[in-house]
Amino acid sequence: MKIDRRHLLLGGAASAAVLPFAKPARAQAKEVVIGVIYPLSGASAQIGVDAQKAFQTAAELINNKYDFDLPLARDEGLPGLGGAKVRLVFADHQADPQKGRAEAERLITQEKVSAIVGTYQSAVAVTVSQICERYQIPFLSADNSSPSLHRRGLKFYFRAAPHDEMFSQAMFDFFDALKKKGKKIETLALFHEDTIFGTDSSNAQLKLAQERGYKVVADIKYRANSPSLTAEVQQLKAADADVLMPSSYTTDAILLIRTMGELGYKAKNIVAQDAGFSEKALYDAVGDKIPGVISRGSFSLDLAAKRPMVGKINDMYKANSGKDFNDYSSRQFMGLIVMADAINRAKSTDGEKIREALVATDMPGEKTIMPWKQVKFDAEGQNTFADPVLLQYVGGKFVTIFPEQAAVAEAIWPMP
Amino acid sequence: MDDAHSKRRLRDLIVAAVLTCIAALVPLFVKDVYVQNIMVLTLMYAALSQAWNILGGYCGQISLGHALYFGLGAYTTVLLFTKFGVLPWFGMLGGGLISAVIAMALGYPTFRLRGHYFVIATIVIAEIGFLLFHNWDWAGAALGIDIPVRGDSWAKFQFTRSKLPYYYFALVFCCVAWLVTWWLENSKWGYWWRAVKDNPEAAESLGVVVFNSKMGAAAVSAFLTAIGGAFYAMFVSYIDPESVMTFQFSLLMALPAVLGGIGTLWGPVLGAVILIPLTELTRSFIGGSGRGVDLILYGTVIVVISLARPEGLIGLFAKRRKEVAR
Amino acid sequence: MTTATIIQSLASGLLMGLLYGLVAVGLALIFGLMDVTNFAHGEFLMLAMYMTFFLFAFFAIDPLLAAPLVGAAMFVFGAVAYLLVVRFAMRAKANIGMVQIFTTFGLAILMRGLAQYFFTPDYRSINVSWLGGKTISLGGVFLPVPQLVGALVSLAAFGALYFFIKKTDFGRALEATREDAGAVALVGIDKNKVFALGWGLGGALVGLAGAVMAMFFYIYPDVGASFALIAYVTVALGGFGSVFGAFAGGIIVGLVEASTALILPPSLKSVGIYAVYLLVVFIRPRGLFGSI
Repeated sequence: MKIDRRHLLLGGAASAAVLPFAKPARAQAKEVVIGVIYPLSGASAQIGVDAQKAFQTAAELINNKYDFDLPLARDEGLPGLGGAKVRLVFADHQADPQKGRAEAERLITQEKVSAIVGTYQSAVAVTVSQICERYQIPFLSADNSSPSLHRRGLKFYFRAAPHDEMFSQAMFDFFDALKKKGKKIETLALFHEDTIFGTDSSNAQLKLAQERGYKVVADIKYRANSPSLTAEVQQLKAADADVLMPSSYTTDAILLIRTMGELGYKAKNIVAQDAGFSEKALYDAVGDKIPGVISRGSFSLDLAAKRPMVGKINDMYKANSGKDFNDYSSRQFMGLIVMADAINRAKSTDGEKIREALVATDMPGEKTIMPWKQVKFDAEGQNTFADPVLLQYVGGKFVTIFPEQAAVAEAIWPMP
Repeated sequence: MDDAHSKRRLRDLIVAAVLTCIAALVPLFVKDVYVQNIMVLTLMYAALSQAWNILGGYCGQISLGHALYFGLGAYTTVLLFTKFGVLPWFGMLGGGLISAVIAMALGYPTFRLRGHYFVIATIVIAEIGFLLFHNWDWAGAALGIDIPVRGDSWAKFQFTRSKLPYYYFALVFCCVAWLVTWWLENSKWGYWWRAVKDNPEAAESLGVVVFNSKMGAAAVSAFLTAIGGAFYAMFVSYIDPESVMTFQFSLLMALPAVLGGIGTLWGPVLGAVILIPLTELTRSFIGGSGRGVDLILYGTVIVVISLARPEGLIGLFAKRRKEVAR
Repeated sequence: MTTATIIQSLASGLLMGLLYGLVAVGLALIFGLMDVTNFAHGEFLMLAMYMTFFLFAFFAIDPLLAAPLVGAAMFVFGAVAYLLVVRFAMRAKANIGMVQIFTTFGLAILMRGLAQYFFTPDYRSINVSWLGGKTISLGGVFLPVPQLVGALVSLAAFGALYFFIKKTDFGRALEATREDAGAVALVGIDKNKVFALGWGLGGALVGLAGAVMAMFFYIYPDVGASFALIAYVTVALGGFGSVFGAFAGGIIVGLVEASTALILPPSLKSVGIYAVYLLVVFIRPRGLFGSI
């Protein structure tokens, strides 16, 4: 099949409007178009802009020859499709599920994307994955961590990274391990924002705390982007739990740490549900106040010691964005690699064929930049082999402290 | 009512009928779903803004809290459907009635407030509603509610790929909102509203009747807005408080009417036809840059229209502007 | 709940309230002067915070020293915003209130877009300043120094504003213009000059607030949104047209917010503020001290 140039050139809505709707003939051979939907303006634009760089880095690796033991790095383009290059089309969903949905539809019908990757906000992933299901286009959720997403019986939904229950489980495994070593951990304080992320995270944590016999002495839900967290921090201070477990985005995390300092509250330990606690901006602002803070993550730069390509790929990303990979950008990067690998094996840009290839995915952990065992999806499209890690912020950088097989250092507990 | 006046009303009706026919035929030529999506949103906002215009424009009670009614419509429909299996059509009606009752209950104390005190009261009431839904676990709280879509069905008002059913519903909705406004404009209520706007003190002598007409306006406006919310919920098939009840929504409902021509029959339609495609297209084709250029453009357009045509864009079309705007 | 918790809550609420007052007073002034609600007020605050940040990042000027500079720059910005944009919105014959709301709303979106374009959406913050992170403990009650200074700046600003309006010629011109713009034109006062000055002053006040807040708050293009609604409620609660009302309104909002969080889940703490607003206007439809 030849490329239909007309299809490729049609970008404008007006000209596309006259095309009769049919199952669109997807571009073959020369390029494979993948849609990337992120918040590129509005309150979380920063995440979207960083994500753009991560995806571009992944596309660069796929489209050109690099000597890394990463799928598709050693070939130019996708060998399964005669060396076709991956072209990314970015769309802005402004954190609005309706807009995410409209953009997904536009990417599928106008840009003729073969697959979609997204979306940061879980609420938007709900509608984007629905649309993908309707059009039978695979959707890979790169960095959404809401556990409800893969439990909706969707055939075209995949997630290579862990979700909040897996992350929280790692934290409680860590507590159990510490307890065995004789450390005292009895009480927990949950501090979470009120959108999907915080709600899901605290639900998982509450459940685990109950199952494993930890006492939750404070469960504080606060309004995201509040002008003040004084009242909230006071309650945390009064509870003074053995572990403070925040689930907060960057803005609130900065304010939380500052307010704690202002109210003279020093947490015994902080084990954070990522988000704000993996952002450079937080450590630039208040890093000196929280040495020893622990955050869950799915990425750690000290993997570079074992796997040199991790460091080199990180350098590529850094040259592009000025930042090191963090928990989000690394998952975004891997998201595109996993998707492109499936398209390559499918040897086709047909949605159903790519879906079959995704189902058959079996990528060993060493061929990723993550500390995962494997990438292999279960019947619901969730990769259950994506082991999360816990990272501790020591001496201005993160070191892996848990689980044991990935750890490079002992956890400093209690935090200094 | 003089002869010229009834002639004008007849002409408005004919123009509306012609436009509706054209709009009904458009999907025969425009098959692209993305464009159809924009058309659906445009019609929906035209109707919502028309509903807002009844209270905000004609009656002069500027509400920036209509997201509350929109959200109530959406939530009533979705909760009844997902929790009790009630078909969305009944939910839509129920949501409309609930909203109308609440609008009157809130109107009773708030209509005594003037100007910005009223505006801010509407904002905070809607904000309270938002926070309550955001923390109400049974209604999904922040997680929202996902409506499972299983095939095409008019009874359940869900369609997997086709936008046409939504388009025609939105068209009918828009026509109904317009017709209600057209009818109200010439009713006794319409007469009192004009009297209130022209001279609040003189209208006070009318007292009770004016107050009742305001309550009526609030109820009609809230009812129609809730229908829009129910439609939106079925159209998007996922709702959460963040996407149907925020302040931003209240502004978006008022904006087409204000830019098109507040308190006019055609203003909301014109405003929506210009504003909604502009928002969508700038986001889709410029927003991908991640540099906020779409916001810059959008903001500039609003400022420029507000400044260049403070009476609304309708002023460009109608020579009888003075008469309409009074 | 111990007494110490309650005292701490009230102290923190009071400090925050004075800050809300400082953020809101510029809005109150502009409103009182010409019956215009500036929906871009939050974005004015955002701009002031960015100015403070860049003065710190490029010239190592501490926010405390930067405050007057930012105030001055925001004075110019406010006056220019009036002369270039708002002045024209005042010409609307019908629905003038709506036109102004949406003109300033458009300005707000435009400013956010420009901020994202020029400053990038990255979260910024000033991590080392003279006062940042310092805190005073009085018998177990903690008072953060930046907020304490903010409260003092707020008190000083309200005092100075009161003096300015009551005792100076220009202040009296402001008052007179507010009461009857038509009549002052007859005695030869240029209405536009007075209004531009009012917007300048409003900008300068929010500039001071921004400089103080930059010491302890994060900065990004959408930061204004967190404060805008609180500022409107503060002004309306105190009563439009009353500068003292904004002051009282700020304190009430701060205290109500802090005490609501003691009773309700903190995610609902704004409900307390909103409920108090509704209660006040249902009893006194012109706010606590309003004249309009």
